[in-house]
Amino acid sequence: MGRDTTREASGVDAHLVRRIRRNRWTGAVVNLAPSAFWLGVFFLAPLAVMLVFSFGQRGAFGEVLLAPEHIGLQQYREFFLPDEHSLLGGLWVTIAWVVEWALPFEVSLTSGQATPYVRLLFKSIGYGVVATVVSFVVGYPMAYYLGHLAPERYQNLLVVLVILPFWASFLVRIYAIQLLLSANSVLTNALAVLPGIGADLSLMNSRFAVLLGLVYIWIPFMILPVYASIEEIDFTYREAAMDLGADRLEAFVHVIFPLSKPGVMAGSVLVFIPSAGAYVIPELLGGTDSQMIGNLIADQFGSAGNWPLGAAASFVLMGVMLLSIAAYQRGGGELA
Amino acid sequence: MSGALGRLRSAVFKRGTGVLLAQTALVYLFLYVPIAVVIALSFNDSRYAVVWQGFTTEWYAALLRGETVARVDPSAAWAALSNSVEIAIASVILSTVFGTMLAFALDRHEFPGKRLFTGVVFMPIIIPSIVMGISLLLFFNIVGMQLGIRTAIIGHVAFGISFVAVVVAARLQNFDQTLEEAAMDLGANELETFRYVTLPVIRPGVLAGALLAFAMSFDDYVVTFFIIGQENTLPIYFFGMVRQGISPGVNVVAALIILATMLVVGIAQWFQGPTW
Repeated sequence: MGRDTTREASGVDAHLVRRIRRNRWTGAVVNLAPSAFWLGVFFLAPLAVMLVFSFGQRGAFGEVLLAPEHIGLQQYREFFLPDEHSLLGGLWVTIAWVVEWALPFEVSLTSGQATPYVRLLFKSIGYGVVATVVSFVVGYPMAYYLGHLAPERYQNLLVVLVILPFWASFLVRIYAIQLLLSANSVLTNALAVLPGIGADLSLMNSRFAVLLGLVYIWIPFMILPVYASIEEIDFTYREAAMDLGADRLEAFVHVIFPLSKPGVMAGSVLVFIPSAGAYVIPELLGGTDSQMIGNLIADQFGSAGNWPLGAAASFVLMGVMLLSIAAYQRGGGELA
Repeated sequence: MSGALGRLRSAVFKRGTGVLLAQTALVYLFLYVPIAVVIALSFNDSRYAVVWQGFTTEWYAALLRGETVARVDPSAAWAALSNSVEIAIASVILSTVFGTMLAFALDRHEFPGKRLFTGVVFMPIIIPSIVMGISLLLFFNIVGMQLGIRTAIIGHVAFGISFVAVVVAARLQNFDQTLEEAAMDLGANELETFRYVTLPVIRPGVLAGALLAFAMSFDDYVVTFFIIGQENTLPIYFFGMVRQGISPGVNVVAALIILATMLVVGIAQWFQGPTW
């Protein structure tokens, strides 16, 4: 399409028209122009504005100072560097804190602490990782069933049923989780048959609620790519492996799982990125201890009123996402 | 390996299939029980409790009569809904046209910087909505555009283009271009070729892209919230109500949103076959 735009002029200068129509650039330019314009002006330019803001400073009244003497990396420094630390010292304190935080047992490497922003960042990454792992553990067996074991007649229907909730409103589904987790709900009443649990227990405003919300919303994005991978696997490879003496477990670990890995990697990126960048889910399901970096960004542009810091946090978050995509591509994954 | 062991193993494998089936069923329950609970509770005869007290259509009737049920004012909901529909339709038309053209450019042409440009096309899908919404807000403030429905449409087109382009480009990859050459050899010009040959083949992809763009626009809360100023859309209105807590009015609105979206998707699937 698009190559037709010169048609009306054909009476005026047929030769010129033909030259334009034949030119191999015409189609590309005409087809690209609207999107390039739109994405350039209403997507890249706003991001550029935000990037400039992230180098600015907050004025006394919450305004953004962008004069040359205010421009600098101070917001990123505030984000990453704990007070009273040099660059190296701050790096050490931060790394030590991350190690202490990530290890399951108690270690004490440093008395210092990473900045609250870095802690929030790693907490968000942690939420993303846990949501991804849970989606994988829960979703992989299901995708295997859908892709390999399900009766062929029902396969399409079953896959449509996985994606169908995605079309139902995101906010409504979060509200549904809220209905289930509040005190005296259907779920808590059902749980009350267990000893030690009362029906007035509220599971809301907790890390559990946030994680459940993340998995609930994003698990189809794990199941579908894994399903697509498994469905394409030629299962005679497994027979070959078993003829060569592998048992079922070995055949799965060494043959089937590696063949399904592209789907697993795509699914992991698709779950991790929106989970780590979540804003609405922690806002509606989380409590004060389960906020994420998305909420920090919103706060800085809202009540906290430090726009440059919010802009810097936005770019740090996007950096994390780019890193996860880079890791994905390094592992041989392709975009789309 | 002995026969007995082999039999044991195949018994385990049979049970393995059963376990996987059970697990799959549980995931479906996980996906659908919350939705079913919302719909069920919208008929619940209780003003406060979230447990079942008895069947009633009282909340539906009250909202239809235009009465406010527990803070939920139907006229405000209607206004928000009509804004949402207006924004979704305008942004779907623009992003479907632009996104389809973009998919053609990416599929058919090589140009300098194509890899980088393709990366930019993917970005609106990938970056957190909160970053996109706030950056658009800053931008509109700087260029002095009045926030409102118009700016919301602009923002929705900015991510709609990407969704349409990705879906249509996937469809174009399997398109046999010799069909177009044949049409042109038979005397069709570019427009006729597109209208009578290319479009009928890629139409499911274009419709799937448009449907996705519609869902993304209609459902979007975060981006819209920052760039729409004082206006309301259905998600913004709904978010405000949810913030204030659970109530029968919210349940009814939630159930109606679910049923309406399912109806739209069902109709689309009916006409077009599975689109996901």
